Amino acid sequence: MAVDESQERFEHPLYQFMEKMPGVDIGLTTADRILTWGVSNSLWVFPMATSCCGIEFMAAACGRFDMDRIGTIARGTPRQCDVMVIAGTITVKMAPRVKKLWDQMPEPKWAIAMGSCAISGDFYRNIYSVVPGVDTFMPVDVYVPGCPPNPDHLLMGFRRLQEKIRAKRAGEWVEPDSRPPMGMQSPSVPRYGSDRDPVWDEAQLQSVIGMDKGGAMHREGLTLPEPPAPPEPPAPPEPETDAEQEAE
Amino acid sequence: MSLPGDFLVLCRDRLGIEEVSDEGPMVPREQLVAFATALKDELDFRFFVTVVSVHYPEVEAVPADEEKGTEAVPGKPDCTQVCYRVRRLPNAERKTVVVPFRVYVPTGETTPSLAGVWVGADWQEREQYDLVGTVFADHPDLRRIMMPEDWVGHPLRRDYAIETAHFPWR
Repeated sequence: MAVDESQERFEHPLYQFMEKMPGVDIGLTTADRILTWGVSNSLWVFPMATSCCGIEFMAAACGRFDMDRIGTIARGTPRQCDVMVIAGTITVKMAPRVKKLWDQMPEPKWAIAMGSCAISGDFYRNIYSVVPGVDTFMPVDVYVPGCPPNPDHLLMGFRRLQEKIRAKRAGEWVEPDSRPPMGMQSPSVPRYGSDRDPVWDEAQLQSVIGMDKGGAMHREGLTLPEPPAPPEPPAPPEPETDAEQEAE
Repeated sequence: MSLPGDFLVLCRDRLGIEEVSDEGPMVPREQLVAFATALKDELDFRFFVTVVSVHYPEVEAVPADEEKGTEAVPGKPDCTQVCYRVRRLPNAERKTVVVPFRVYVPTGETTPSLAGVWVGADWQEREQYDLVGTVFADHPDLRRIMMPEDWVGHPLRRDYAIETAHFPWR
């Protein structure tokens, strides 16, 4: 059985152009551009995967998403890597190890915080042993929010990192990524002597109870407490009337 | 959960407990090792399932108030309950069964370790020491197993301040 492989080959258009034109067998570029091309397309990854985000990382490395095609190859040692992907909750016991591995990576190096636990601790941030975000002890270049993020999101994070690398090497100003805002109140565990608003507890309880009543419909009829009203601005001083002056 | 008959007989003979609740008999600390050895050797409970310590904070006694009509609340001292589960493995003649027993430990005192009876109790007792602070006397290697080595306090105690900072990581 013969397989037609004529369409399977990939050739760069620049290479085809150079083959067609007689005498054009040398491409000219600057050393900086070709270095940038090499750096941004060979991001070898050290997966600092501690929990379920690591599973999504593995899915991104598998055949369906194929992370390797943009040059991000996962390696098992920090000394061969350029990017550290922190995927998962980092505890107080793990944080010194993460810092030590980060310090072992050679420059230039970048870090991607993958998932809400690595970004901010999310709903584990109130626990006594969880670090509230890895950017409290190491620099983070790209945040990939999600719980856990899809493999698509991780690949988008890599594209964002490539854009940042290219822009930074070209001397352009790069806006530093900020920690994404959390659009939810982190559910804290009921504590001994807690002063948490009991209305929130009731709302959380009702949302869990109604969860088997079908999809997002259970959120209907859920009344959350109103945020406290802003204090009213002080009334402007009343202008002095002419009547008083006339009385004098 | 129905407890097996030979276990009830052992409780009656060794501990003098006639009625055993589903939560298991409260074993005096002086008889704990002898009771566990008898469970393992005589009744063939060879599989150590788990040990769980629970800390109960101190409850202040409240006298009865006749005007308000409230009843008196008895005070309780600050204490720890250590709950054990052991299993008898099945064979051709019997089914498997799990039996519980408990130990009452006032705060500041120790309880004997069962690591000499069941080897599987070794790390489980280390975990309970780490998280709840129960001190098992005669334990071969009572160190922290889960929390960092320089951690202060036992986080699953009721009086642990959960917002405790751990510089520089938290």
